[in-house]
Amino acid sequence: MAGVWILAEYIEQSKELLNVGRELAGQVGVELAAWTWSADWADECLAHGADEVFLLPPLSADQGLDAYIPIIAEKARTIMPEVILVSSTLRGKELAARLAGRLDAGMASECQGLRWDGEKNSLLAERLLYGGAGVQTVSCLGRPQIATVPPRTYEVASRSEAKGGRLTEISGQPSSPVVILEHKSREHQTQDITRAKAVVCVGRGMENQQDLEKARELAGLIGGEVGCTRPIAEEMHWMPEDTCIGLSGKIIKPDLYIGLGVSGQIQHLIGTRDARIVCAVNTDENAPIFAGADYGIVGDINEILPMILEEIGAVKK
Amino acid sequence: MDFKLSEEQELVRQNMREFAQTYVDPIAAEIDENSRYPEEVIKKLGAMGWMGMPYPAEYQGAGTDYLTYAVAVEELSRSCAATGFTMSVHTGLAAGPIFYFGNEEQKKKYLTPLCNGGALGAFALTEPGAGTDVGAATTMITKDGDDYIINGTKTFTSNGPNGDIYVVFGWTNKEAGGPKGMSAFIVPKGTPGMSVGGHFKKMGIRASQTSEMVFKDCRVPKENLLGQEGMGLKIAMGSFDNGRIGIAAQAVGIAQAALDESISYAKQRVQFGKPISKNQAIQWMIADMATEVQAGRFMYMYAAWLKDQGLPYTKEASMAKVWCAEMCSKHAAKAVQIHGGYGYCKGFKVERLMRDAKITEIYEGTSEAQRMVIAGNVLR
Amino acid sequence: MPNILCCYKWVIDEAYIRTGPAQALDMSVVDYKISDYDKNAIEEAMLLQEKFGGSVAAITIGRPDDTKGLKDALSRGPQKAYFVNDPSFENLEPAQTAAILADAITGRIEYDLILCGEGSSDLYAQQVGPRLAEKLGIPCISYAVSINIEGSRIKVERKTEEGLEVAAAPLPVLVTVAPDINTPRIPGLRDTLAASKKPVEEIGLTDLPGPYEARVQTVGIKAASLTRNGQKFSADKAGVKALVEALQKDGAL
Repeated sequence: MAGVWILAEYIEQSKELLNVGRELAGQVGVELAAWTWSADWADECLAHGADEVFLLPPLSADQGLDAYIPIIAEKARTIMPEVILVSSTLRGKELAARLAGRLDAGMASECQGLRWDGEKNSLLAERLLYGGAGVQTVSCLGRPQIATVPPRTYEVASRSEAKGGRLTEISGQPSSPVVILEHKSREHQTQDITRAKAVVCVGRGMENQQDLEKARELAGLIGGEVGCTRPIAEEMHWMPEDTCIGLSGKIIKPDLYIGLGVSGQIQHLIGTRDARIVCAVNTDENAPIFAGADYGIVGDINEILPMILEEIGAVKK
Repeated sequence: MDFKLSEEQELVRQNMREFAQTYVDPIAAEIDENSRYPEEVIKKLGAMGWMGMPYPAEYQGAGTDYLTYAVAVEELSRSCAATGFTMSVHTGLAAGPIFYFGNEEQKKKYLTPLCNGGALGAFALTEPGAGTDVGAATTMITKDGDDYIINGTKTFTSNGPNGDIYVVFGWTNKEAGGPKGMSAFIVPKGTPGMSVGGHFKKMGIRASQTSEMVFKDCRVPKENLLGQEGMGLKIAMGSFDNGRIGIAAQAVGIAQAALDESISYAKQRVQFGKPISKNQAIQWMIADMATEVQAGRFMYMYAAWLKDQGLPYTKEASMAKVWCAEMCSKHAAKAVQIHGGYGYCKGFKVERLMRDAKITEIYEGTSEAQRMVIAGNVLR
Repeated sequence: MPNILCCYKWVIDEAYIRTGPAQALDMSVVDYKISDYDKNAIEEAMLLQEKFGGSVAAITIGRPDDTKGLKDALSRGPQKAYFVNDPSFENLEPAQTAAILADAITGRIEYDLILCGEGSSDLYAQQVGPRLAEKLGIPCISYAVSINIEGSRIKVERKTEEGLEVAAAPLPVLVTVAPDINTPRIPGLRDTLAASKKPVEEIGLTDLPGPYEARVQTVGIKAASLTRNGQKFSADKAGVKALVEALQKDGAL
């Protein structure tokens, strides 16, 4: 009965976790179970390899995901699963940590890789630490072993025709002292690019001013801001001076920098060297930006940018 | 013997670093280019307690030791030598004489606003014909009833155009000669008869304001006499002893910035398929720079420590000043060399550093004057 | 007049970490700092005190010689600090940290609101806040971007994948704050000097019920490759897809 459990806020992520969960369940020799609160998603989980789906009662309008914690914890105490995988959305991370706290269980956060150590009979997880400077491998002691996994770390599980899985409706009253009063959708606000988590930088390779809109759209998708190289502000006057990145402009330290048509003169690169991930699109394969980039595509931004928008849009939906 | 700053001193250093990175780095190139006095930054420094560091709380100072103050000057100068100098002149040369030689009333009235950031201090000693040769001054101060009347022209008055409180030197008794005939006065901004010239266009520390000052029948009450008549030279020299520690710290700050810039550029700049930091020629320049910056730091810290212990420190302050200044100039130029053609262009910080560095060999006693002091001390 | 307790962790400043031979992390020249996100927690505590009065105390766990962090934290405004220390309190994992904090707080410290950073800058496990709330049996709201106290309850805007959720809970409550909630102040000189004179209450291992066993074991740590790998993708749909996947894998999206 003891098994591998997976839990995610969104069905895509449930399917991703079913993929890695299936692998782990196979290695441990246990069943794979998925938690969800939607009958449709329950069917989807069953169709993607879950041996069992625990269907939670619906939440009332003013309840948040955390209202499920008492129910899940109770079930975990009775069944004592080997592994609980939670997709690390913001609410998912809180739920997992509180579950771990309630069950006094070990937990590995934001794991980039998971595998089963048959000798030690425990889950081994790889994760980043020290702001990405180090990779830590941890193993959980005791049961259950909880891990959170960032969305898109794994491919979604493939659809299986074999339908042997069962649906178990979980009774119980979701409850939490925290009430949700309102939901607000994300609105995009311009802020100081030096503080932005992500920066889309526009360079001379962008030929039409109208394309700035696409850069802004990309920035919106990745929760960042738009910056530019000096000529874009000074010669083209497309963007304000205070969005110039580089030695004589702003020094930025985002998690992600995407250069669009940026050639990467040294003055500019000095402004981007503290970015964690640098990604560049430029037509000139010898452009210096590629030497300072983690990822590059040699190509015309007119063609590549729409594809990037589409692809990242799909991820972020 | 302890080479470690205390936790508190380390935090002071760290907080000044963060302040400088947040408020000074972003404007340093602009205020240099435009010779603009960064009033907003100086006001902020004052509000956060940085403008009266080594003076007691009763005058709204922070009551730190001199070493802590010097460390803060280094960190501020690392971002902008001109801003560091503004703080250093204000603290060492304007607030200093009032604290060490002023009476209680003068301290309450003038030291307090200097310490709490309400007023900026300036120091008017140098004259067109009297630089290192202080005795060649021609400013005359005559007694008239309960007042004194100042007549003369000062030049290179640091914080001159924007100062609120000036410490002004001149002859009250020319016949008595240098050690006995000079006196120092506190002259507030706006005193009739005092006029301040426009600020000089300088090679470096361009954001620090320097001007000529003319005193024409400028009348100040006798309450503004610092110490006694005839103490002027002693006050000036004592202030320089303090000020020089600040300049040494400023020089180390500039040199540290040159080192910071050189290291990051050398790692980034690729020539012949590899970063130039892989070349021994560059490595040796950077190794020497790192070594001498460290040595300079120990020198100014030692002088400051002597002062804090109440021990004689004139010679050590001069040693620190001359050595740190020349070290700073040498390595700022090396930093430009490492940057090659880029370093010679506006927009790269080392270009500014090289211009800023030079002044440390000149003001508050030229390198030659420091050697006179040192020689006088070791040869007596 | 809420009593606010903010938790901070004294961590290795990752800027000083170098890569040694064989992908090992070279910690030989590291310095320490208050975990970045915890500075937001302290700042938020101060902003709330300015608005609603009450008191602010800071609490941390560390080795007995980690005292610089206390002065740093106190220079940011709190009136008092609790220093839970023991030579063994090093490289604690989140379950231990939360358990120790809970025992140190219970019966000793009065609180209406506990603030934590969303995660620590070293481990960034984002567990201690929620785990601590569980141990104390109080409500938890995480990833807050604004906090308001309304009488005996707290109203919080918290980040979610879709935007914001406005959540409310009765005091006492634990809130973890997102870094965009505020900009931590730079302590002035007077604040820094005043910090040394503020009271610090020490809590030792013998004052706590204990023991505190790890629930997670670190098997190994190696350096992540920090050099720009210059990986190129093809200029077509497949290339773009691969690029976005790589960004995803790096946690950059």
